[in-house]
Amino acid sequence: MARIELADIQKKFGLVWGVRDVNIDIADEEFIVFLGPSGCGKTTTMRMIAGLEEPTEGEIRMDGEVMNDIDARDRDVAMVFQGYALYPNMTIYENIRFPLRMRGVPRAEQDALVRQAAGLVELTDYLDRKPQALSGGQRQRAALARAIVRQPQVFLMDEPLSNLDAKLRQAMRVQIKHIQRQLRITTVYVTHDQIEAMTLADRIVIMQSGAVQQIGTPDQIYNDPANTFVAGFIGAPPMNLIAGRLADGTFTAPGLRVTGLPERRGGKVTLGIRPEDCHVTVGADHLQGIVFGVEPTGETTYLTVKAGEKLVEVKADRDFRADLDTPVAVGFDTTRLYLFDTASGDRLR
Amino acid sequence: MGETSLSGTGAARSAPARPATSRLRRRPRWLKTAFPYLLVAPAVIYLMLITLYPGIYAIIQSFYAVKFGPWQPVGFANYVRLWGDYQFWGALWNTLVIGSIALTLQCVLALLLAFFAYRDPWVRGWRIVFLLPMLFMPSAVAFIFKLSFLDARVVSDLLIRVGLIDGNLAIQSSVWMSRGLLILADVWQWTPFLFIIFVAALQGQDEEVEEAARLDGASWPAIFWNISLPMMKPVIAVALILRGIDITTMFTNVFIITKGGPAFGTETISYFIYRTGFRFFDFGYASAASVIMLILTILIAQFVVKRAFVSARS
Repeated sequence: MARIELADIQKKFGLVWGVRDVNIDIADEEFIVFLGPSGCGKTTTMRMIAGLEEPTEGEIRMDGEVMNDIDARDRDVAMVFQGYALYPNMTIYENIRFPLRMRGVPRAEQDALVRQAAGLVELTDYLDRKPQALSGGQRQRAALARAIVRQPQVFLMDEPLSNLDAKLRQAMRVQIKHIQRQLRITTVYVTHDQIEAMTLADRIVIMQSGAVQQIGTPDQIYNDPANTFVAGFIGAPPMNLIAGRLADGTFTAPGLRVTGLPERRGGKVTLGIRPEDCHVTVGADHLQGIVFGVEPTGETTYLTVKAGEKLVEVKADRDFRADLDTPVAVGFDTTRLYLFDTASGDRLR
Repeated sequence: MGETSLSGTGAARSAPARPATSRLRRRPRWLKTAFPYLLVAPAVIYLMLITLYPGIYAIIQSFYAVKFGPWQPVGFANYVRLWGDYQFWGALWNTLVIGSIALTLQCVLALLLAFFAYRDPWVRGWRIVFLLPMLFMPSAVAFIFKLSFLDARVVSDLLIRVGLIDGNLAIQSSVWMSRGLLILADVWQWTPFLFIIFVAALQGQDEEVEEAARLDGASWPAIFWNISLPMMKPVIAVALILRGIDITTMFTNVFIITKGGPAFGTETISYFIYRTGFRFFDFGYASAASVIMLILTILIAQFVVKRAFVSARS
């Protein structure tokens, strides 16, 4: 229910850059995910939106209004914390009611709102319990209920699922997305898990070392990475990035030769290819190497090929098996090759 | 067949292994059983010598009339006499009044200070300053207060110069002013102790919880009242018990500053016991009063612990 603009945001912690030159426009009702490794500035950026951290420079606007000097508690922003941050001295009911009480919602309305929020996250049976008496997933849902109960302008979620086990995480992911779609509240979600980012986001903001690397829809980020960092961060297993040389439309690296690439400036170039765009072939192909490892997952088999000193990950057939050190050839889907400048990491287009 | 061959190989294998294991020192069985007792023995022996022995001695003595000569068994006569002794009841009342006011004041003061200071990043650096009053010898503190308020009249003099009062404060002629002086001395010396404990408790609380409350729209006082304070309950309880017991047995300040006067108006139980025992040498009677005081402190401590911890847990 709010549009958020981050304009030239800088954050310095003493002499250390936390966040630099962040420009993001978040549309109303959008689900945006800040994705990046730890220490990339994604949480700091979110905390600046919340008002828990003050930007060193730049403006934060909500619906056009500058929020920099507005206290966190007046921003009408709700946040779900990584450690849930439930009030341990209160029952779940009191926890969910707390924001209503603090914002002076009439007592008569409080009860209905609390029960509605609790119903939305399926916690109605646990309202009398203290947080300690709940499981991780239930605490997570209680934190979610506390955030949604007052229908804020903006949802902020700081790695809300990282303390849950894999199964629960997947279930909660669906829940969060469903609730966000239902309530149509602008949501900023911070995570280091690219699967969470891909599945939840309308748009993903990929950050590294305090700077935005790319902003785009999950499809754009996956299919059209802006640089080697984005390419290597998205996808599981990640994209293979092979450093080599490009000359006359031919890319060469130890054990690897790809011809027919469009004429571009040559020199030191990194070739990117996703494991799922590779296939094991018989006879000679783009890549010649030996089997380094075979990892069956049931659904598929990941084959690691050693070519020169480089290990290349290949998605093979689910019943592919091979002994170590047997020679193997790998073909690439040449329409899905990416070329990057080795020095800068930027995509060559 | 299979079994026998298996056990056969097992024996064959373990036989050469024997000498190897003998290198490991085996602990004798008796040591294993006695070990836990040995570990706690020093503490237990120490406690017995320091507290249990004199404690039991006092309990026994409280059933005797002890005045220089041989002990005369008197049964509960000492306790019966206490029941009717208005000075004992007065001492009890004084202890209650002085103690509860001092305790409330220092607790509230320390909480307020802690509330304002705990978020200060420098508080870790300069909180040692707050420890200073605690580091002074209690009798030295008592003498400082005696000098500045009574003997040398420093405070009176200052107040006169500022123009707040006309003549010297006649503290010693007013029961309430004397009690106030004892309260002031105790608050001055012990607020920092509570402050440090409360600051530590506040600093130890989850910062995320505070931030969550801020985003939920709570002001700093609201956060303190609704979240920090309830979470601090067990800490506050422990601090109150420690200080409460200390204050119940308040002696040094009374002994040095007021000597129980005026008109026994500041005589605490400890001072009553001291007076009975070491002025009138009525040891049996003093012991009886001590036993009563011991029972009272235990009861109060029990009550506070139960209330505070139960409500904090459930």
